[in-house]
Amino acid sequence: MRTPALVVLAWGVWLAGAQVAGAADDQPSPAPSPQLAAEGKALYGQFCRNCHGVNMVNPGTSSFDLRKFPPDEHARFVNSVTHGKNTMPAWGDILKPEEIEALWAYVRTGGKT
Amino acid sequence: MKALLLATALTMLLPLEGYAQSSDELTKGPNDTANVLNYGMDYGQQRYSPLNQINKQTAKSLVPVWSLSLDDNRSQESQPLVYNGVIYVTTHNATIAVDAKTGRQIWKTKVEYPPETPRIVCCGIINRGAALYEGKLFRTTLDAHVMALDAKTGKELWKETVIDWKNGYAQTLAPLVADGVVITGTSGGEYGIRGFIDGWDPATGKHLWRTYTIPGPGEPGHDTWPGDTWQHGGGSTWITGSYDPELHTVYWGIGNAGPWNAMMRAPGDNLYTCSVLALDPKSGQIKWHFQFSPNDPFDFDSVADMVLANLNIRGQPTKVLLNGNRNGFFYVLDRTNGKLIAANQFVKTLNWATGIDENGRPIESDLTKKMRTTGETVEIWPSVWGGKAWSPSSFNPNNGLVYANTLELGMKYTPTRPQYRAGTTYWGADLAWVFPKDGNVGYLKAIDPLTGKAKWEVTSPTPRWGGVLTTGGGVVFSGQLTGEFEAFDVDTGQKLWGFQTGSGVEGQPVTWQQDGVQYVAVTSGAGGAYVVYAGDERLANVPAGGSLWAFALNPQTSP
Repeated sequence: MRTPALVVLAWGVWLAGAQVAGAADDQPSPAPSPQLAAEGKALYGQFCRNCHGVNMVNPGTSSFDLRKFPPDEHARFVNSVTHGKNTMPAWGDILKPEEIEALWAYVRTGGKT
Repeated sequence: MKALLLATALTMLLPLEGYAQSSDELTKGPNDTANVLNYGMDYGQQRYSPLNQINKQTAKSLVPVWSLSLDDNRSQESQPLVYNGVIYVTTHNATIAVDAKTGRQIWKTKVEYPPETPRIVCCGIINRGAALYEGKLFRTTLDAHVMALDAKTGKELWKETVIDWKNGYAQTLAPLVADGVVITGTSGGEYGIRGFIDGWDPATGKHLWRTYTIPGPGEPGHDTWPGDTWQHGGGSTWITGSYDPELHTVYWGIGNAGPWNAMMRAPGDNLYTCSVLALDPKSGQIKWHFQFSPNDPFDFDSVADMVLANLNIRGQPTKVLLNGNRNGFFYVLDRTNGKLIAANQFVKTLNWATGIDENGRPIESDLTKKMRTTGETVEIWPSVWGGKAWSPSSFNPNNGLVYANTLELGMKYTPTRPQYRAGTTYWGADLAWVFPKDGNVGYLKAIDPLTGKAKWEVTSPTPRWGGVLTTGGGVVFSGQLTGEFEAFDVDTGQKLWGFQTGSGVEGQPVTWQQDGVQYVAVTSGAGGAYVVYAGDERLANVPAGGSLWAFALNPQTSP
């Protein structure tokens, strides 16, 4: 089935709006350095893997599918990891800020690093 | 005066009738079809009932009688207990009594634990059930406490600290009451714990004994651990043991060694990890042990159901212990002495070993030997989920077969060298899953325990992650992670009936008869280890949401 042009246009407008809204909420993070992402992957394996899945692959039902985490919502990520979110416990007293940054770098790779 | 005497007599009688469970009652198992008083349906955990109102002919007329929300989005693996028309079921944060006929909640007692506790739980936030004894209901908590509730009111009677959860100890198991002792174990095999089994006084909560699953200095078996490795060597005890009152022996499965990287614990067998212990329930003293996987690198926990049965072995009636082990071999042991009778492969693909020798020791494959010497990545079958994970099986005494939810899944396995840090994971391996080519991970099998061969098997893309129940009506009950609760023909595996419960079934089905009606109950609620950790995206459209279901034949349509 062909997608009507109007729907494509509407989707484009929505996407642009979403990007603007995201930018207003939080500055887009620069691309993660491979080294930092690798450090994050090791931390992920120790602290996150058993709930969020090997290489972040999980069904996204009982725990968040991190591959879908918006890449421009750094502050939300730090807040969720530090203070906990929904069924996820807080990690702020275990993980150092630089470790959370490394995890963020890894999450932005979508588990493909 | 007569009325007063009658009232007094009734007052004395009612609590006894309604809420007392004696040691004698706990030994009845399948002979007491009105109640379900044991984890595993009887002390031997056969998960068999002689009830036959629901049978091969009538099962198609099964309908839900009621459903109760458990008000919880975590995994539901609790086995319901039934006593005098009241069901007792647990979640990670509540204990609940339910009218078995109407499905109405009678009482609910919340369990509070620190919100950080899930940090030290590797594999789903779960509670697997309670134990009943002398009017009390016993359960464990995620933050490592054992507690007793008044079965009539749900009021907390005592609560004791097992150990500091912050060091990686959690509890998800149902307690066992054996010879008047409440017996519990611990989780934490992936957090650098030193495992143990505890005995408690049911009346007061007084701690009676602790048996460590990893021997300390001076104890037999301590020399199977090099240096200080024993201190964080794992050996969890996260599934309820079985009990033989005649032999006055409790059989408890012991979890994997930690960390997974076996080279960090070599040389040595690392007793009593991946073993079964035979214990005296009064003292916790070890009578014998049998180790399934010495110096295990592959997380082959041996905690799952140790089923007690009587089999004819070489013409002799023999008291055996049956275990479909994570390592992919089906074991039959003489439970009077722990001697091996049979050990045969029950999964299709297995490459970590080539067999089990006459002493019960695995003959490791060249692949495993290579991994041990080089530390290289290897593709191993079965994976860390094992040939059978925690899912409890059913032994059917009518045909001597074991009905088990088994797995076909492999892994790319790379050993790593973690640093121990209290209260955090102590894994010791990187993993990548290798799914079977045909996509079927789940196999419900009718297994001959003496050969490991299946009389029939029913496949499913995602594994059945809950328990199995078989009945005198020739019916096998089990559920799917995709939500269907199903009945099969015990002889052929032909599907007789199914019902969609709305979330994944990880629960343990039970059956009982009340007022002439046979009921089957099971919990539904996805969120256990496979859902969160196995990366099986085929489950993306199975919502969480805990509920308890009861089924019976529809009187309008059943023959």
